[in-house]
Amino acid sequence: MKNKNKNKTGNSLLKVSTVWLVLIIAIVGVFLLSVMLGSSRLSLEQIFNVFLGKGTKSEYAIVMTLRVPRAVLAIIVGGCLSVAGSLLQAVMKNPLADPGSIGVSAGASTAAITILLLFPNLTYSVPLFAFAGAALACVLIYLMAWKGGVDPVRIILSGVAINSVLGGYNAFLQLQNSDNLQGVLSFMNGSFSGSMWQEVKVMGIYAVVGLVASFACIKNANALQLGDEMAKNLGVRVNLSRIALSAVSAFLAAATVSQVGMIGFVGLVAPHISRMLVGSDYKVLLPTSLLTGSAMVLLADTVGRSVWPGTEIPVGVMMSVFGGPFFLYMLRKRGNFNGA
Amino acid sequence: MELKANDLQIGYGEHVVVDDMNLNIMRDKITTIIGPNGSGKSTVLKAVTRLIKYQKGNVILNGQNILSMKPKELARTIGVLPQLHSAPSDFRVKELVSYGRMPYQKAFSGKSAEDERIVQWAMEATGTWQFRDKSIYEISGGESQRVWIATVLAQKPEILFLDEPTTYLDISHQLETMNLVKKLNRETGIGVVMVLHDITQAMEVSDHVIVIKNGRKYAEGKPEDVITSKMMWDVYNVECDIVPMPGREKPLIAFKQIV
Ligand SMILES: Nc1ncnc2c1ncn2[C@@H]1O[C@H](COP(=O)(O)OP(=O)(O)O)[C@@H](O)[C@H]1O
Ligand SMILES: [Mg+2]
Repeated sequence: MKNKNKNKTGNSLLKVSTVWLVLIIAIVGVFLLSVMLGSSRLSLEQIFNVFLGKGTKSEYAIVMTLRVPRAVLAIIVGGCLSVAGSLLQAVMKNPLADPGSIGVSAGASTAAITILLLFPNLTYSVPLFAFAGAALACVLIYLMAWKGGVDPVRIILSGVAINSVLGGYNAFLQLQNSDNLQGVLSFMNGSFSGSMWQEVKVMGIYAVVGLVASFACIKNANALQLGDEMAKNLGVRVNLSRIALSAVSAFLAAATVSQVGMIGFVGLVAPHISRMLVGSDYKVLLPTSLLTGSAMVLLADTVGRSVWPGTEIPVGVMMSVFGGPFFLYMLRKRGNFNGA
Repeated sequence: MELKANDLQIGYGEHVVVDDMNLNIMRDKITTIIGPNGSGKSTVLKAVTRLIKYQKGNVILNGQNILSMKPKELARTIGVLPQLHSAPSDFRVKELVSYGRMPYQKAFSGKSAEDERIVQWAMEATGTWQFRDKSIYEISGGESQRVWIATVLAQKPEILFLDEPTTYLDISHQLETMNLVKKLNRETGIGVVMVLHDITQAMEVSDHVIVIKNGRKYAEGKPEDVITSKMMWDVYNVECDIVPMPGREKPLIAFKQIV
């Protein structure tokens, strides 16, 4: 009996390292797979030759300018989205919170749709506007929710209101321009198609900044799980923590939206799986979320572009189609939100 | 060491709940706040510990206004166990108690040897060390209450505030918790301020009792002086006799009927 309890709750170093090791191996494995697969299939040997500088020119072009940057971008974006979701779940004390609930997706898509449909000559700066739109929507939601402090329920409710208004505006614009939706559709269904080292660089900088900030928030995220009053008792500035955590989360999510468009479900499913694997201590949960998110998005993109030769299923579509059922399966299997 | 509240007025929005509240909490003493449901006991406890804002007056801790103290500084001086608290179900006992050391840590700093030592001390003092590796949902209500007290104790506060620490416990766990509070007070000299519903227990363990009725202080003083049948009638609408009992230090409370 004692032993059984230990297994259920014990979050030993061994267990955590095993989980991390498995996730890292999975990421490396899928990474290699994703570099191998594509319109011209490469063998492992060919790939390693390229890495060692011994490949042919065309192999080098395929590996280093097409497939590797795309896979690396998927890894970074997945990790960022998942960390963003984990942080927001601490802010809201709700496992169903994700960056969409504080307006990141609606704000970014409003800005992007407006630019793409009304000011097409500014198309090259869609990332910038999407980022700004996400940030603005998020600030607006927090301003509306503020009443001597930020309460999770008020954030969620004002998020619903703002999301609904922006959603209506977006739908109207799209209806008015229904013959010109190509760009909008590819933005709304995030995709890594055509990703280059340039995007990897930009996203990499965003990710380093956002992730360092996230890891600085770990203790506050943990304390919020003990309830607002207990957190205050422990010397935590509860309102400030909520705002800081939300800002970091919004920053990470907005950065990904600006670079690759909208990818749903990662911020919800990846943290949830991580919670079931290692529990709710953010010291362990946050790094696990990072790895789970990376593995998940990389897998979704790899499958999405190789399962149906000749067509690419955008990663956003893959995540929605497979993320939803997978989430339901996990819920039914484990039946609780608090993990382990 | 003392905590003074002067002319506090506390409310939620427009609604004033507590008024003209003056308190003088001494270190080394067990102070108990009693009063009917909704009379404002928790509100007072939260205001003097800065969990909620007050509208008028001030709270002075060791000669310093609590509003001018840094949150962590305050958390190293007073510890509050709120009435409602919860933790994720996979948290283990020792992990939870370790949170009591947060006021002493920086964002990236880990647990120091000192933190480890104090966590163990707090857990031994509350008799929770032996189930340090269990999940907080695998232990009984009384054990869980002791774990939460250990968490607050690990803050090394000079005064411990407990809001209804016994309310959801059966009688044996209630007594266990009261014994713990008394032992901590006697052995470590920590001041205790708690809200209790059980008048008999308030009589037994307190050095000082404060009675609150409708958000105002009705009376305060030694338990024998404050807990009288007149007070019980005025505050709770309950008829009772307070009967001295041979061989016992404190009198007993014998209820007649509830009108
Ligand atoms: N968060 C709150 N918002 C509004 N009113 C509250 C809040 N908390 C308590 N009150 C009101 O303040 C009064 C005193 O409550 P409380 O201090 O919790 O009483 P007690 O702890 O003595 O039972 C009650 O009338 C209660 O309805
Ligand atoms: Mg109360």
